[in-house]
Formats: sequence, C-alpha cells, structure tokens
Amino acid sequence: MANWNVSHSGLDWAGGANWARMFHDVNFWSSLFRLFYFSFITTTLQYILGFTAAMYAWKGFASRRFFRVLWLVPLMTTPSVMAIVWRSIFREDIGAANGLLSKIGIDPIAWSTQIFPATVTITIAEVWQWTPFMFLILLAGLLSLPKEQFLSAEIDGATPWRTFWSITFPLMAPISIGAIIIRLIEASKIFDSIFNLTSAGPGNSTETPAYYLYTRGLREFQISYGATMGLMYLILAILTLTILGQIFARVSKPRGI
Amino acid sequence: MKKILKYSFIFIWSTFVLVPLSWALVTSFKPPAAVNNGATFIPWLQFQPTLDGWKDITGISGYANLFPPLINSATVTFFSTLISLTFGCMAAYGLSRFSYGWKNYKNPDIIFFFISQRIMPPAVLAVPFFILLKTLHLLDTKLGLVLVLTSGLMPIVVWLLVDFFNQLPKEIDEMAMLEGCNPFEAFVRTILPLARPGLTVAGMFAIIFGWNDLFFALVLTFTNVQTLPVAVVALNGTVTPFWTLSASAIFSILPLVGLAFVVERFLSKGGFAGAVR
Amino acid sequence: MKGSTVNLDLRSVSVDTETEVILKDISFKFEPGKIYVLIGRTTSGKTSLMRTIAGLIEPTDGEIHLGEERLDEVPIWDRGIAMVYQQFINYPHRTVLNNVEFPLLRAGVSKADAKAQALAMLEKVGLSEFKDRKPSQLSGGQQQRVAIARALVRNTRVILLDEPLMNLDYKLREQLREEFRTLFKGTADGVTIYATTEPSEALFLGDELLVMHEGRVIQHGKPDFVFENPSSIDVAQIVNDPPMTILDAEIKDGKVNIGNLITFPTPAHLKSEKDGKYKIGTRASEVILGGSESNSEEGTVSLSEVSGSETLLYVKLNVGEVVLQLEGIHDYQIGQAVTISLAPNRIFLFNMDGTLCAAPGN
Repeated sequence: MANWNVSHSGLDWAGGANWARMFHDVNFWSSLFRLFYFSFITTTLQYILGFTAAMYAWKGFASRRFFRVLWLVPLMTTPSVMAIVWRSIFREDIGAANGLLSKIGIDPIAWSTQIFPATVTITIAEVWQWTPFMFLILLAGLLSLPKEQFLSAEIDGATPWRTFWSITFPLMAPISIGAIIIRLIEASKIFDSIFNLTSAGPGNSTETPAYYLYTRGLREFQISYGATMGLMYLILAILTLTILGQIFARVSKPRGI
Repeated sequence: MKKILKYSFIFIWSTFVLVPLSWALVTSFKPPAAVNNGATFIPWLQFQPTLDGWKDITGISGYANLFPPLINSATVTFFSTLISLTFGCMAAYGLSRFSYGWKNYKNPDIIFFFISQRIMPPAVLAVPFFILLKTLHLLDTKLGLVLVLTSGLMPIVVWLLVDFFNQLPKEIDEMAMLEGCNPFEAFVRTILPLARPGLTVAGMFAIIFGWNDLFFALVLTFTNVQTLPVAVVALNGTVTPFWTLSASAIFSILPLVGLAFVVERFLSKGGFAGAVR
Repeated sequence: MKGSTVNLDLRSVSVDTETEVILKDISFKFEPGKIYVLIGRTTSGKTSLMRTIAGLIEPTDGEIHLGEERLDEVPIWDRGIAMVYQQFINYPHRTVLNNVEFPLLRAGVSKADAKAQALAMLEKVGLSEFKDRKPSQLSGGQQQRVAIARALVRNTRVILLDEPLMNLDYKLREQLREEFRTLFKGTADGVTIYATTEPSEALFLGDELLVMHEGRVIQHGKPDFVFENPSSIDVAQIVNDPPMTILDAEIKDGKVNIGNLITFPTPAHLKSEKDGKYKIGTRASEVILGGSESNSEEGTVSLSEVSGSETLLYVKLNVGEVVLQLEGIHDYQIGQAVTISLAPNRIFLFNMDGTLCAAPGN
C-alpha cells in the first residue's frame, strides 16, 4: 500500500491509490482471465492425457517399462530451456512446425504474431512439460490400488470400460484431486514458458498475472503496485482453491488437502 | 478396434514426447546452412552434421562454457534438496504424529499454510527475497540461492511426507519407544528407514524443481553464481545461433533425464505404493 | 536373565480428556507370575489402561508403582514394559530375527547373546525356519507370534497384551490360545496383563479376571468365580458370549412369573428371596427349546446365525428377546415359530438396580 521507490529509500504513504489503480487496470484483470483459461485448459488436458497414458502403462503391454521411462522424460527437463526449444520449433521461417506442415501441403502458420496460434504454442508446451507429472502420480496411484476388487469385477464379467468407471476411477478420485490441485497451483504461476516462448505477445495476448507482476514490479520497478496486485492475486488464488477444494470434497469425499 | 486405439495413442503420445527432444538434438549438430535455409530434419541426408554447436557451449571455441553453470546447478540443487529433506521430514513427522495448533487452527491448517507458500507467483516473492538477501549480503551467492530454493522446496517435501508418515502405523513408533528408543531415536531408527520410498519421491521432486528453477536464480544471482537454466536463457537473450542454443538445451536437460530411469525402476519395484496418495 | 519379580500397583489412576472420562479411579495390585485378564466391551477402557501403564497415555490423576519405583514418572523408553498390539505390529524393514533381537540390543545385551536369546525365543514360538524372512512374508498368525516373541524375549517386569488374537480367524485363535498358556507360564515371571472381549479366552488364560465397564473395574476375582457370580447385570453380560438374556420377572406366592406367560415354582436357590419385582438372567446355552405348557412361551425367530459349531437363535417373545445357543448347525427361518422354556434351577436373579441377588451356583 505504500509507495516505495527503489531510487530513494523511505516510504511514502500512497493510501488507496495503488488499489484504485488496480481496480481500473484492464491489463491486470484480463491477465487473470487468461490465467483461468490457461490453467483450466492445460490442467484438464494434462489430466486426461496423463490418466490415459497411466492406464496404458499400468498393465497390458510388454514393453511398458520402456514407455514409462520415455513418458517421464519431459518432467525432468527444464521448462525455461524447453521453451527455447519450442520457440525454435514454432519459428515461422525456419521452424520445424511450419517445415512439417509445408511437407503435407499446409500454408505456414504465423505462430507468434497471431493470438490463437500463440495460445496454442503455450498450451502445447505446457501439456508436453507437465502431463508426465500427472502420469507419474496417477500411475503410482494405480500401482498401489488393492487387487481384490479388480479380481471380483473380472469374475463378475464386467467389461473393461465398466470396470474403469465403477472401480478404477472412484478409487483414484482422492489421488486425482490431490494431483489436480497441485497442478492448478503450479499452473497458476505459469511464467517460464511465456517468458521464453512468446514474451506475453503478440501484444499482451498471452500475458498472465505472474508475468504482468514481473513486468510491472521487477522490470519497471513499480514495486508497491506489484505488491498490491500480488496481494489481490493471493486472495483470489486462495479463494479459488478453497472453493475448488470444497467442490471436489463434496463430489468424492477425499481426505482434505 | 480397441487395440488400434491403444497403439495409436501410444504411438502418437511417444512421438509427441520425442519431437522437441529430437528436434533439439538434431539441430545441435546442424551447420548454419541447414538451419537458416528452412527446416531440415534428417542428418547426413539433408545436411552434414558438425560439432560446432557443441564446441560453442563447452568452451572449446571460446564462445561459452556451460560447465561452471553445470557445477553451480548441481551444488545448489544438491544442498537445497538435502536441507529441505532434512528439515522437511522432521516437520512432516511432527505434523503427522503430534498435534499443534492455536485455537481453531490445527495441523491441516499448518499444512495448508506450507502449501500456500507455493501459490504466490515467484515474481511477488522475488522482491522480498531480494531485499532479504541484500541485507544479509547473500545476493549472488550459492548460499543465498540455496536458502531461497529450500523455502520453495520445503512445502513439496512436507506435503508429500506428511501423507506418507500418516500411512505408517503410529504403533511402530510406540513400539520402538517401549523397546527403549527415545522419540528421536524412534524416528531415526524405525520411521526413517520405513519412509525411504517417501523420501525418495520427495527428494526426486525437490531435485526436479530445484534444478529447473529459473526465476529465483535469474533475479537473485548475477555473475558469480550462474545456474544452467539462467546460462541457457542468457545465451537465448544474445544472438546465439540455433545450433548452439539447441546444444545448450540438450546439455542442460541431460543430467536429469537419467533420473527418469531411476524413477521408473523405483516405480516398477512398487516403491511408490503408498508413497503418493 | 530373570525378570525382577515385583508388584505393579495402581493407586486411584484416572484419565480424562476435556470431554470424557476414559479411566475412573482404578486401584489394583498386580502380582508377578500371574496372568491378569482384562475383559470388557470395545470402549470399556482396557486399551487405555494398558497404554497408561505403558506410558503412552499420561494419567490425569493417581500413581503407578512398580516395586519401589514410581512408574508414572519414568519416560516410556526407560519403563521396560513390553506390549503386544491387536494389529500385527513388527518392524517391516527388519527380518524376523532382527525384530526379536532389537529390544535386547536396545537394552544393552551383547550382540552374540542377543542373537542366541532371540533364536531360542523363535524356537519357542515355532518360527525358527522363518528367521530370515521379513514380517510381511508371514501369515497373520505368524506375524503375531513374532510380536509376542519380541515382547517375551526381554523378560520384562510387565507384559501387556491388547487383544492379540482379535484379528485372527477362529481356528487360529483357539490354537494360539493353547500355546499362550504354556508360553506365558514358562517364560513370563513378571506381571502379565491380557485384554480381551472373549469370555472363553478369559476363562482359559486368566489367573485373575478384571471386568471393565465404562472406565472402571466393576468386578475382579478368579475367572470361574466371576463367571458364576457376576456382581451385576453389566458383568453378567460382559462375561457371557452371547450376552446373558435379561428379562423382567416377579416372585410372588412361591412362584416365579415372567411376563405372565412363563411361570414356574420358585427354585431352591431363590427360595429365600422376598416377593417382589426382579430381573432374571439366563445364559444362552441354558435356555431350552421346547418345554412343558406352564413354563414355556411361543415366539418367533428374529435371527439365526451359525458361529463355529454352534447355532445362535434370537427369539422374540412377548417379554423380550431371548438368545438361545444350540449345539450343532441348525436351519431356522426368520419368522418361524418356536417354543422356549427356561431352566428354573439355572436362573440368575438381579435386583431392579442391577446388582446380583442370587446365582444358581455350580
């Protein structure tokens, strides 16, 4: 709330000015909205893909151990470094994406200058990076499930599809919720890939709060305004997570986080 | 039909996982012409591989040397993991076995408080940390970075381990105490050995998050302690050619890829059973 | 190594939390070399009493003495008390042999001696061939034997066993029960306290029986004496399985009258009681199926269950529900009509406040 300028120390009381400014700051609110989109879409995709991969890697085919290792690799890579790799893939002139598309006769896409493709690149990078996290936690969960219930389902002659929905999925509910909440928390801080992949562009169309706070607070040194937004952000984040936690709890009665 | 679905998923997903990695790997051996004149994919057929990119990042050509950042990253990751595991497992044990609290705020709230530390975007935390480290004269030192990273890793470690300890019957600690161990000995001699899977998982996540951190290293260190991600991003900031960048990318992620094998072995041995819940 | 033989003396020990009373004013002197059986329902305080003696619960009031020592002021790890839990608790990361050695090593026994003693104890519980396995590779009964070997090997001054057979199946329970008696008699010189909900275990193992109810010891004595002379309805129900059936009755004009339907002349052991209202109790095994017109009543079966080699029949009468224990396995339908009569000379008589008035004796 104070107005703190880095060049001269000491505090100037700025009253509600920072708050008033924040409430009228379109960039802040649209970055928040964008964050909802990013964390919701990427977490959903990660969960579905991660669960599918975990189901296949759980049992069933012979070389699954090889694929387990392979599918874990992205988790081990550095997001900021991978963002650089993705940027080179989505370079319009010499990148792999357009290079491959032209091979099958599709016109090059302006990945970094159009809003939708820019959003897609970030979504792809995030899904690639963090699906293995879901995969790992869900696979660990599947491997620790009690075997008895599956056996009895098998004896009852339930189809795999039915077994999944009536046994596997409910048993995996608590661990799923844990994994989803962790991912939402981590996804809300999305920074590395935006920083290195699109720099929030084109314009500020891929800017999230974490990035906006970084720009205002650390690049332009409006530290007190950054802190105001940070506080607001924290309040909203805790509120959202609490509500989500309650909803999840009601849906499946897991242990609390 | 179901078989087709299954194997096409496995094929498509594996390809997707491999694409960026193989692209970076291939690009790191490209000569300038193979990069600048449009996308090329197959070595020897489309271009003659060279080692120029790799010479650029290993100090051979005098352009950049990523070995010092590698050592920095390894040191910082090792110590922040070690510290967060040491204190994290004690905190988690305490939270799992004893009840703390003040009025209506009990253990679950303390645990949520730990996790909430991860909710804040690093950009918000960076300023307080900057001021803190500056006051302590720890800016641009390994110790400073280790401390900051540890504060970020602790929540993960505590959160995972509390759950893990909760699954170990309390009677085991009691038994150890009845058989002559004081509470600390009971923890060290019977609970810690049993918690090895949990410690491994927590340690693994600590290593991943510690090694891959960009933000704090970017803001809190400058020239003395450059970690690998920072060094690679710095190369990216200057006009470094793509083959060199790709080589640096592969160079910086390679050390941790080995961890995937360790994790898988552990997973298949059932070590995760009960470790993540 | 002989365990020192001293008394364990509880002096008005109480435990309560903010909201409830766990143990209420318990005073008792346990003597070494004897097996004391605590019997009571699940939440009667048996486990709490053991945990208090072990030091896992701190008494809010009272003192615990072990010989000359003031036990409640000694930390858990110095008390030298062994405990066996209802769950099979062993150190999962150690082998069976290391499990049994551990308490000896902690007590300062040399490595060679510890190994020798542990092996001898494993021999006694019949687990020698499994000494190098991990507990998880054993069956439930074997795991519990490891836990018991671990408790016995130190020959402590006090051994606490908290429903050790609870989680085992019926067959194994009977078998281990037999083993326990010889094992404890031969090995434990200290005070042995054994908690159970099963009257049969109590009668079989106990030198002395303590009946617990709602945090108090409500009766103690030789097991068969308590069984024949329960001091109150609570005791009668706890020491009988299935619980004793209690019905309202009246003694009048030389007759016992139960719900106006079952009537019989006052039996010899009740002759001296005054006329008036009472409660009568009858054991399930002493209720008779069928019977003469005057002392019987027809009712309907509300539940029939087979337990081991016996059939339990719950019969609804006008006066209340009667439990009937039949030898062998019988098939009854729910709702089926049966005639029930009581054995007059086996009736327990209680005053209306629940205290014992007269018992049939042996």
